[in-house]
Amino acid sequence: MPLMSAAPETLPLSARLMARLRGDSLQSPWGAIIFFLGPALTVYVAFTIYPVFRTFYNSVHIIKPRGVEEFVGLANFVTLFTRDMVFWKSVTNTMIWSSLAPVVDVVTGLLLALCLYAKVPLARFFRVAWFTPVLITYVVVGILWMWIYNYDWGIVNVALRWVGLGAWAHSWIGDPATALWALIFAHAWKWAGFNMVVCVAALYALPTEVLEAAELDNCGWARKLIFIIIPMLRPTLLNLLILSFLGKMKVFDLVWIMTKGGPLWSTETVSTYVYKRAFEWSTFDLGYPSAVAAVWFLVVLVFVLTLSWAFRQRERLEY
Amino acid sequence: MRIPRVWTRGLLLLALALYTVYSAGPFAWIAVMSLRTTSEISADPYALPTHFHWDKYLTAWTTSHYGTYFWNSAVVVVAAVAILTLIGSMAAHCLARYRFRGNRLIYFVIFSAIIFPPQVIIISLFQVLVEYGLFNTRTGLTLVYISIQLPLTMYLLEGFFAQLPQDLYDAAKIDGCSDFNVFWRLTLPVGVPAIATTIILNFISLWNEFLFAVVLITDEEKRTLPLGIMKFMGDQMQDIGMISTGLMIAIIPVIVIYVLFSEKLIQGMTAGAVK
Repeated sequence: MPLMSAAPETLPLSARLMARLRGDSLQSPWGAIIFFLGPALTVYVAFTIYPVFRTFYNSVHIIKPRGVEEFVGLANFVTLFTRDMVFWKSVTNTMIWSSLAPVVDVVTGLLLALCLYAKVPLARFFRVAWFTPVLITYVVVGILWMWIYNYDWGIVNVALRWVGLGAWAHSWIGDPATALWALIFAHAWKWAGFNMVVCVAALYALPTEVLEAAELDNCGWARKLIFIIIPMLRPTLLNLLILSFLGKMKVFDLVWIMTKGGPLWSTETVSTYVYKRAFEWSTFDLGYPSAVAAVWFLVVLVFVLTLSWAFRQRERLEY
Repeated sequence: MRIPRVWTRGLLLLALALYTVYSAGPFAWIAVMSLRTTSEISADPYALPTHFHWDKYLTAWTTSHYGTYFWNSAVVVVAAVAILTLIGSMAAHCLARYRFRGNRLIYFVIFSAIIFPPQVIIISLFQVLVEYGLFNTRTGLTLVYISIQLPLTMYLLEGFFAQLPQDLYDAAKIDGCSDFNVFWRLTLPVGVPAIATTIILNFISLWNEFLFAVVLITDEEKRTLPLGIMKFMGDQMQDIGMISTGLMIAIIPVIVIYVLFSEKLIQGMTAGAVK
């Protein structure tokens, strides 16, 4: 059939008849479909689909340079699950990060969005100032925060000394006890603005009658927020939580620039560990890091499926 | 209300001002430092410039390879965004406007890549590019960039194209428009708002991209800007003043784009998440 709509049954009868009539006189649309989809699918298969399968193939091999490969079965996975303490450390760090950060991100974003929605003075200026960190490359963000955390002249320690808490001054990313928290904080700084603009867009899409009705019923701000705004923003907020969670499961750039996973693996994430094993440590084996990547891919997949399933169930109950 | 309104309002504004200092302060700090010399900065890192050293921008540009990094980033990103826009909108047009067996399957397979952690392809991409002879080339990086941005591009465009009124397409068919002309003369011009959004979004994401560049590019002359900044920082060691100037050079183009196209950009970023 020739060009068709996504939902042909909504067309007027005459148009459907026309399409049917013309369908016989035109050659099959497969030529056009291949022409339109071909380039995108070729690039996508060559540079995304094939590499994904290749990673799974790698994971049961030892891959040495110059195409030397040796099949080792599940040996990589056995090592990974039983003996690799660094892997488990990196999993712990990533899980801490991705279970805490989404809440921080979304709560900050929502609060900022509510301020803009409530038309505080200078809202335009605030929006720009709060959103700008989102646009800055991680390299700049990383260097900036390394300076902010600097022991001698970083603003955090300077401020602490200034208010007389010099004893608390700290080498924030040099101490294994605080390094991960320092990175989580810097990452939250970058992403709050994104959550804010999404919440602003969702707030402006709310039906105003409901909020006006609440106002007539003399409903206070806090109650309006808890009983009306948050329930109505639910789908958006859940989306943001999932997006933020996914982002944290893959976090690499900021860690690599600021600490390279150190000190003492205190900021190692799964992504930095994969990168290190593949390209930094001179083990010359791409098989083992591929096994790590494959396991993590499945973990992320399971989380995504579970989360979207769980939230879909709730949704059906509520509406 | 028990607490006077003026007080709550004042407190709120104070909180907002503090948050603004936290969120925008670092930029102001970098901007100020970019105009001061390192010896001035080490005397007092938080003072305002007494003398504006604009010449530092020229020095940063010429003594490092900023010109090269800038050019590399520009070539790779512009080529990737141009090709992405063309093949992405062709594919999105096809999925939105043709019904055929496997349509939704293709859509699902491409869209599901949005959740992939990038490390699942990074190692094998390295192998694949070495085998294709594309490792450490700007062509290779461009192709990879097209591929990683394709899912989001197609998701945004397909959504927009599918909502265009079918009457337009019926009219074009009745006028005897060929399949290609329907795309070229109808979908593309009508789809400009969505296409502009994806162009800006892709441009900023790729301009800032770090992970794939760091793995797939090793030559000094092929480094993109984010890699160049890392290199520059390594070379300058403790020269804080000069690094700040370098960071400002990297920040400025993105800010310019944001100022020019902020509405489009925010539309694109929010499109996926608002329901």
